[in-house]
Amino acid sequence: MSLMYNLESTWLSLKHHAFRSLLAMLGVVLGVAAVVGMLAVSEGAKRESINRIQQQGVDNIILHSEKPRINESGGEAIFFYGISKNDIAHFNSVFENVKTVVPIVEIRHKSIYVNGRPSDVILAGTTPEFLTVSRSQNADPRGRWLVDTDCILSEMVCSVGVDAARQLFGLEDPLGKTVSVGGTTFKVVGLLKNPLRSKLAGKNDINNMVFVDYETLLSIFNRDFMAVEANYVYVQVENLDYLKNTAGRIRTYLSEVHELPDYTISVPYELLLAEQATQRVFTIVMGSIAAISLLVGGIGIMNIMLANIYERTKEIGTLRALGAPKQTILVQFLFEAVTLTALGGLIGVGIGFLIAVLIKHAAAMPTIVTPGSVIVALTVSILTGIIFGTHPAWKAASLSPIEALRR
Amino acid sequence: MSLIQLQGISRVYGSGKTAVHALRSADLRIEKGTFVAIYGASGSGKSTMLNMLGLLDEPTAGSYWLEGRNVANLSDKERSYIRCRKVGIIFQSFNLFPHFSILENVCMPMRFAGLERKEMLARAAELLDRLGLGSRLKHSPSQLSGGQCQRVAIARALANNPAVILGDEPTGNLDEKTGDEMIGIFHELVAEGRTVVMVTHNAEYEKEVQRVIELHDGTVVRQ
Ligand SMILES: Nc1ncnc2c1ncn2[C@@H]1O[C@H](COP(=O)(O)OP(=O)(O)OP(=O)(O)O)[C@@H](O)[C@H]1O
Ligand SMILES: [Mg+2]
Repeated sequence: MSLMYNLESTWLSLKHHAFRSLLAMLGVVLGVAAVVGMLAVSEGAKRESINRIQQQGVDNIILHSEKPRINESGGEAIFFYGISKNDIAHFNSVFENVKTVVPIVEIRHKSIYVNGRPSDVILAGTTPEFLTVSRSQNADPRGRWLVDTDCILSEMVCSVGVDAARQLFGLEDPLGKTVSVGGTTFKVVGLLKNPLRSKLAGKNDINNMVFVDYETLLSIFNRDFMAVEANYVYVQVENLDYLKNTAGRIRTYLSEVHELPDYTISVPYELLLAEQATQRVFTIVMGSIAAISLLVGGIGIMNIMLANIYERTKEIGTLRALGAPKQTILVQFLFEAVTLTALGGLIGVGIGFLIAVLIKHAAAMPTIVTPGSVIVALTVSILTGIIFGTHPAWKAASLSPIEALRR
Repeated sequence: MSLIQLQGISRVYGSGKTAVHALRSADLRIEKGTFVAIYGASGSGKSTMLNMLGLLDEPTAGSYWLEGRNVANLSDKERSYIRCRKVGIIFQSFNLFPHFSILENVCMPMRFAGLERKEMLARAAELLDRLGLGSRLKHSPSQLSGGQCQRVAIARALANNPAVILGDEPTGNLDEKTGDEMIGIFHELVAEGRTVVMVTHNAEYEKEVQRVIELHDGTVVRQ
C-alpha cells in the first residue's frame, strides 16, 4: 500500500483525536525529554571533568611533597621532607619512559612586594621545561621564558603570569620592572600565559604566579627557610601505553627510599580512566530510567491504539469489504503507532534541548546535547512504536470482515 | 457458464448444541447481467448469503464458482484481490468514511487496486458526475442527504468496474421515492451488463427485478 495512503489516514486519525493522541504521546515525550536533558547534563559534567584532568596533562605523573603528621614520625620533629633532588636525578637517569622531570618549589611564607606593596601572588622556582609540560606560552613576544643559562649564571630574573602581572603592576608594562621577596629582587623578563587556565597540581593558578629559576631560588632560600626541595614534581612520560608501568615503578622506588609517607602521587590519566568508568555506570543507570519511561510510554501508545481500533472497527470492516487485505490494515495501524511515538520522540528531543539550555543558564552548569543522544532517543522512540503498536495492529488486521462490519 | 454458481454452500455459526445453520446446502446459479433480489424473513440467512457472494465470509462447506473459478477457501490475500476488482458492495447504512471527501471515498477501492493517483481522481470524478454529484466532489458525507450518500456508495462500488454489485438492503435507510431512484440506477447498471444482487425486505421490488431468490431458515425455497 502506498505511503500516501498511510500518511493520510494517520494524519486524519491524529487530527480527529488530537488531544487524545497528545496525551498518549506524553509518556514517550517525557521519557525522551528526561533522557536527552540528563544526558546533556552528564555530558557537560564529563567534558568539564575531563578538561580539568587534561589541564594537568594526561602524559604527566604528578608527585606532591606532603609533610608527614607528627605521630607518623614517631614523635620526632620533622625539618625536611618530600621529594628530593636525589629522587629527581634518579627519575631522570634510571627510568626509560621518562621524557622530562620538572620540579617546582614554592616560597609560601614570604609575600612578593612590588614598590613596597605586598601581594598574595606565589613565587615558585622551576626549570625551563615547565613551559611545555604545563602547556603554557610566553605571552609577550618582547619578553622570554626562563632558559638554561639563567641557572648557570644564577640570573635574578622572573617570568610573571598574566593574572599576577595585572595584580602586581595594574595597567603598567611589567617588562623590566622588579619584584622583591624577602629582600631579594628579581627583574621581570617575560610574561607567562596558560590558555587552559590550569592549576599547578590542581591547586595554584599558573596564571597567577611568578616563576624564577629552580636552582637559583633554592640556593637563595634553601638553607634558612625551605623544608622541601620540591613541592611538586611533574614527570612527563614518552609513551602513554607504558604510563601505568612507569607510575608503578616510581611508586615502588619512592616507597623503598622514603621511610615516611611524605609524598603522594596523582596520575591524571588514571583519574581519566576512573572518570570514564563512572560515566559508564551513569550511562547504564540512565539507560534503565529511559527503558522504564519508554515502557510506560509504550503502554500509553498501545492503549490509545486499542481504543482507536475499537472505535474504528466498522471502518476497518468497510476497508476490508472494499478490497483491503489484512496486510494493509496491519501496516496502516502500525504506521499510526510509529508516527505517534516518533512524533513524541521529536517533541521530547525539543523539550530535552530546552531543559539543557535552561539548566545551563539557570544553574550555570555546562550542558551538551550530543547528536548521538538525539539519534538514540529517536531510534528508541520508533522501536517503541513498533513494539507496542504491533499487537493492536495485528488485532485490527485479524478482525474478520463480517464481524467488523456488524458493529 | 454462469457468472456465479454456488454448490452445496452451507454456513454454520458456532458448533455443538448452540450451532446456528445460517445457510443449509444452498445451490444457486446467477447469470451475467441479471437483476436479482434476495428475499426472506428476518434471520433467514439473506445477509449470510450476500456476504458469501461478496467473499466477506467463507462457507463451512460447498464451493463457490465465480467466473469459472472456485473461490471458496482461498487465502485472505487472494480473496481481497477478487473482492477489490470483481465485486462492489453497498451497505444499508452507506458506510462512507466520514473524514474523507466524497471524491476520496470513491478513490478508496482504486487505491487498493494500486491505481495511479491522477487516474484515480479522474475516474472518481467521472463516476460521481454520472451519479449527479459532480458539483460536490469536495464535500464530506455529513454534508449530504441519505440518498446522495447512497449514490456516493454506489459510485464507490463501481470504482474498479466490477462485474457484480451487491447490496444488503441498500434502500433500507431511504424513503420510498429515494429508494425507487436507487432501483433506477441499478437498472442502468444491469443494462450495462453488470449483475446486481440486492437483499430486500420490500415485496414491492419483486416486480422490478428479473429474478427473486427466497430464503427460509437458511434454505433456498424459490429461485
Ligand atoms: N456471528 C454470528 N454468530 C451466530 N449466529 C449468527 C451470526 N451471524 C448471523 N447469525 C445467525 O444466522 C442467521 C442468519 O442471519 P442473517 O444475518 O443472515 O439473517 P438476515 O436474513 O440477514 O436477517 P435480517 O433480515 O434481520 O438482516 C440468524 O439466525 C442469525 O442469528
Ligand atoms: Mg441482514
